Amino acid sequence: MSAEPIRSGSEYDPTSWPEAKQVPGFAGDTGEFATLSEADVRGSAYVGQRPADGGHASVAGTLPYQVATSRADAPLFVGPYEDRLEKVLSRYPDRQAALLPALHLAHELRGHLSPQTQDEVAERLQLPPAYVRGVATFYTMYNLAPVGKYLIQVCTNISCNLCGGDAVLESFLKHTGTDLGEVSANGLWTVIEVECLGACGFPTAVQINERYFENVRPENVPAILERLV
Amino acid sequence: MAEPTPTPENVSVTIDGMTLSVPKGTRLLDACAQAGVSISHYCYHPGLSAPAQCRMCLVEVEKSPKLVASCVGTVADGMVVHTQSENALKAREGVLEFYLVNHPLDCPVCDQAGECKLQDYVSAEGPPMGRSKEPKRVLGRDDFGGDVMFYADRCVMCTRCVRFMREVAQDERLTTVQRGSRTVIDTFYDEGLTGNIWADNIVDLCPVGALVSKDFLHKARAWDLDRTPSVCPNCSMGCNVRLETRDNQVMRLKPRPNPEVNAHWMCDFGRLNYSWMNRVDRIEAPLVRDGGRHVPMSWADTLTRLADALRGAAGGARAVVSPFEGNEGIGALRRVLEAVGGGDGVFRCEQGEEVILPGFPELALRRDRAANVVGAELFGFARTGGADGKGGLEQAAAHTGVLFVLGDELADAPADFGANASLFVYVGQHLAPAARNAHFVLPATTFAEMEGTFTNIQRRVQRFWPAQRAPGMARPSWQILGVLLAGISEAGAPGTAADAFAGLGAVRAEFGQLSWAELGAQGAVLPGVRELQETGD
Repeated sequence: MSAEPIRSGSEYDPTSWPEAKQVPGFAGDTGEFATLSEADVRGSAYVGQRPADGGHASVAGTLPYQVATSRADAPLFVGPYEDRLEKVLSRYPDRQAALLPALHLAHELRGHLSPQTQDEVAERLQLPPAYVRGVATFYTMYNLAPVGKYLIQVCTNISCNLCGGDAVLESFLKHTGTDLGEVSANGLWTVIEVECLGACGFPTAVQINERYFENVRPENVPAILERLV
Repeated sequence: MAEPTPTPENVSVTIDGMTLSVPKGTRLLDACAQAGVSISHYCYHPGLSAPAQCRMCLVEVEKSPKLVASCVGTVADGMVVHTQSENALKAREGVLEFYLVNHPLDCPVCDQAGECKLQDYVSAEGPPMGRSKEPKRVLGRDDFGGDVMFYADRCVMCTRCVRFMREVAQDERLTTVQRGSRTVIDTFYDEGLTGNIWADNIVDLCPVGALVSKDFLHKARAWDLDRTPSVCPNCSMGCNVRLETRDNQVMRLKPRPNPEVNAHWMCDFGRLNYSWMNRVDRIEAPLVRDGGRHVPMSWADTLTRLADALRGAAGGARAVVSPFEGNEGIGALRRVLEAVGGGDGVFRCEQGEEVILPGFPELALRRDRAANVVGAELFGFARTGGADGKGGLEQAAAHTGVLFVLGDELADAPADFGANASLFVYVGQHLAPAARNAHFVLPATTFAEMEGTFTNIQRRVQRFWPAQRAPGMARPSWQILGVLLAGISEAGAPGTAADAFAGLGAVRAEFGQLSWAELGAQGAVLPGVRELQETGD
């Protein structure tokens, strides 16, 4: 090991670095591994095909579009849901800590957390209804009002915004014929604007129910909607 | 008061150059207060938990890497605290600037103007100029139910109200909803605060004008009010209050801290039940009956005639008193009754449901809805009538001897009440129909217009002070009856309420063991309580 500071010497001067190969297309492709296929790169952990319309392959192993089968009047915490709630409760030191997963269960069953649902969860967990309301409104991923069969979440945070997120949002609103946050007349669509979806490398990112769509451009929107219907 | 044992371990702490010794575990904020330094704070309240939410109370502690929120930080031995250092002042100024970003500057129409912590702190150590050019957010207002109105724009999210409902009222009806800059205080859907009789305390707690009383809304400015320490007369709990008056009208009641009685709180029943103190249909001059009519007369003439009449009266005495009268008036009446040969006395009191404050169970809206039931009982008056405060006057109505009525309005008494009495003396505030047969009608003040004491349900004797001017020739009942007593017996006439209180020892020995000075602003418990209870007095 050299005792010299690592940054000294002309070999670390950024101007002496080799010139990056300017290959059009994929920003990270240096052209050195032209023979590797995507499957070779991803290895055995790769679980699905990248859908033609830009769905994210890494989460595509789940249900195709995780179509919501929730019913707003479904009974809460009965049958398998009771077992799941018991399991959740056993994982946390107190009922307060189990509130988020309990709300998730209710959300999964009913599609949204109505005041009545919040009351029922509060009663089941023996927490003050006001506390449950504070928590339910704090987290934006709980729907507090009914949503359409497909909940389209368009990212308009900085990276997506710079790459035309607002235009994508406009396009979704136009093609579904709804206003922001509204359920369309046929009950299929709800379009909302969200903060970062954590896919800044592939703007604009859109999440439809559980599935990600990346590199979405306004002109892709009709094709995406058509596939879903 | 005896020293608490064992004595807590003291630690030495230096605050702004002043070294003082305080018990271990004291909050920095309290220690600073002891050193005479008041630290700005919103979220901290001595009656609630401290979440260090508002970040206003930052102080610099030597050897601590960051500024410390003094409401949660506790003292340690050898701690050196700087509250006015450049860092601390800069931090607090920064926090205040953030509060002002969205706080509307509607002080001219805000109910809290003049008693607003934000006004005070900005005036004391805030930024001299605003830098914000953006429009302020508008959240509007919300009716929380009960007596509470919420102005969301003014809220500084100190969560005192949420914590009060959670910790003290233990009826969690308020919560913070949404997150980040969208956070507001809200009731839980349509329920609101309606039905919780302790909810108005959150109006007192609110350091800004976000939670205001609908009853007081736009009625008076804080700086126009005169504040008089007093005791709430609306139940036998005797919460320590301030009567806030303007133009001789009581505008509102606010609780006054007393750790033994009501801590910092009071109930809405007592708080909002004050309009009777502003009633105008008052007796303004002593009236003496002359045949079929009452003739106004000077106090000297009236009392001379009454003393003469009492000396010749026969048939025994009987009295009806009001539990809204002070100890001095009731005690003086007892002495007058004894001077004319003794006699029975009764009082009537409206009753209702008892509502305990869960977080401070010593405090409750008591069953008896009058201040001095205990005092009336101690001076030998017996309860009569129903829970609605009516009835039970048959014996008094038919009495043929001397009949005294003190304070009771006799609203339900028949027109011939006291017609058979050889001498009927009515001492009170309002000319009741039943007083038409009285030979003497003497105008007395309400408790709000005089000085005196009430005995509460804990047998604690507590002083009140005059907050309003008495109408016309009305006088405190202790003065009327005290002068009358001096006219018919050897007793001296009381010049002050203190004299009248000293005279109570002649009726009940335990009152003689309390000195007027000892009562102070917080009152004192009657000695010999156990003995009294055992004898079933």
